[in-house]
Amino acid sequence: MWAPYKKRLARDLDRWEANGWVTNDGRTAILSDVESSGRNFSLASALAILASVLFGFAAISFVAAHWEEMPRLGRLVLLLASIWAGYGVAGWLAARGHGALADAAILFAVAMFGASIMLISQMYNIDGNPPDAVLMWWIGALFAGVLLRSNPALALAMVLVCVWSSMEVLQSNAVHWPFLGGWAAVTGAFVWQRWFPGLHLSALALTGFLISLGYLLGRGHEHTAVAIIGMLVAAAVIGAEKVLPDYDHLTAPILAYAVVVTFAGLYALQFFENTSLGTLIALAALTLVLLLGAISYGLATANRGVLWLGYIGFSLEVLSVYWKTVGSILNTSLFFLVAALIVAALAYMALRIAQRGRSSTEAAV
Amino acid sequence: MSGTHRYFWPLLVVVALVQSAALFKIVYDKDRLLKTGREITMPVKPLDPRDIFRGDYVTLGYDISTLNTSHVPIGNFDNFPVGSAAYITLSPNPAGGWAVAAVAPEHPTTVAPTDVVLKGRVDRIWRAQTASDSVINMRYGIETYFVAEGTGRALESKVREHKIDAIVAVGADGTAVLKGLVIDGERHVDPPLL
Repeated sequence: MWAPYKKRLARDLDRWEANGWVTNDGRTAILSDVESSGRNFSLASALAILASVLFGFAAISFVAAHWEEMPRLGRLVLLLASIWAGYGVAGWLAARGHGALADAAILFAVAMFGASIMLISQMYNIDGNPPDAVLMWWIGALFAGVLLRSNPALALAMVLVCVWSSMEVLQSNAVHWPFLGGWAAVTGAFVWQRWFPGLHLSALALTGFLISLGYLLGRGHEHTAVAIIGMLVAAAVIGAEKVLPDYDHLTAPILAYAVVVTFAGLYALQFFENTSLGTLIALAALTLVLLLGAISYGLATANRGVLWLGYIGFSLEVLSVYWKTVGSILNTSLFFLVAALIVAALAYMALRIAQRGRSSTEAAV
Repeated sequence: MSGTHRYFWPLLVVVALVQSAALFKIVYDKDRLLKTGREITMPVKPLDPRDIFRGDYVTLGYDISTLNTSHVPIGNFDNFPVGSAAYITLSPNPAGGWAVAAVAPEHPTTVAPTDVVLKGRVDRIWRAQTASDSVINMRYGIETYFVAEGTGRALESKVREHKIDAIVAVGADGTAVLKGLVIDGERHVDPPLL
């Protein structure tokens, strides 16, 4: 379990025990349950994963360096042997109950698979379509991740899907729709594995894809669509939270990603496109209202991700409006004055609501 | 990883076998293509002659890398979106070398015995005002030649102001693989692996 949660829970339990809500036995039982539940992500396994990543980079640069002292066949045999050695060590470690270390060995083997693909492309001067090599690599990583139920291999597969798609986009400068197929395959594996951090990786990848649509569709000026997609997803998630309150561990992060997509679309519209002053002010007002809405919703639902994204977005928006309009118009100060007045008024209203609510329950957050 | 279950070892072997087999298949296919493919040589345009062997690999340009619609006898260029496959038919020039005889989105059904069909991929299209004057950039998978750090220098000294030809092996389905280079009549070819 993650340390911050444990620490906060211990602190809360102290208070609850002092208030007489929790007995001392209950406190001990709760803490020991938290201690035992969830896999202990030890320093050893974290270091092993990092070592695998370094081994992978070492092998890839070994391939890239055209190490001519060794014949090509020898290099290929060496890489193939390290694939098999990686899986062999994984089996050995798993048999001894070191599941996390076995995962690191699987990750190493998948990295060697990628290095082998690169060496083969080099040996045959294969160049037709470089992303095809990455495509083969992520399929191999997904295969290993699913069959061996290895989360790090699946995470690598998702990263490689993004690399593959980015390479295609750089080549063609058009939307790479097959990304969605790869994304769905790896995300499906994450769901099947019930690996929550992996789903964050999926959401992050999809967020990047959605934002990139604004720069690729409609000759690179489709940011309106991005903002609308973000708002629709946010509205759907808020609706889902009302209907299915038990799934807030899933909906809360999705809302945070929807806020990012919406803000990215609106931001590009305001500051990367040629906008007239009137449009800029209208869009800035809309953005600030939406961000204030996100902040208040984040406060109301204790969604810390949305809350902080709201704060960050608000600061970024205000700073960018300042940079774009400073010196050019006298109205800049008027804009900030009006914005400040509105926010101050909202703060006063929020204070009144909070005071009214405090009589029944103590305010959260 | 869910721990030590009964099938973990067999599954490990399956993953290792499938990944190895996938790698072996590319090696086998390419090696077979190098041995059995029809060999053609084409002049190479060094994109930057002074720097041709500096890097880890050389980028090679061919006459057939840029197709101008008005110079191709047969072929409708409207059907070639970027990234799609295109098959070009090369006929031997009476004066030596190869000339593009036709361009098609599919492999032609009948090919004259002297002709060679190469499978390429549309890399970029510049459309002119008139549709009959577009320029297409093609890639055939033979544009990169990897050079070992030691041998690059030796080749580089030979390359300056000399004639370079690429040796290309072409399979029956049009796939091409770079076999090596001919520099002033001297062949530089890596032997097949298997």
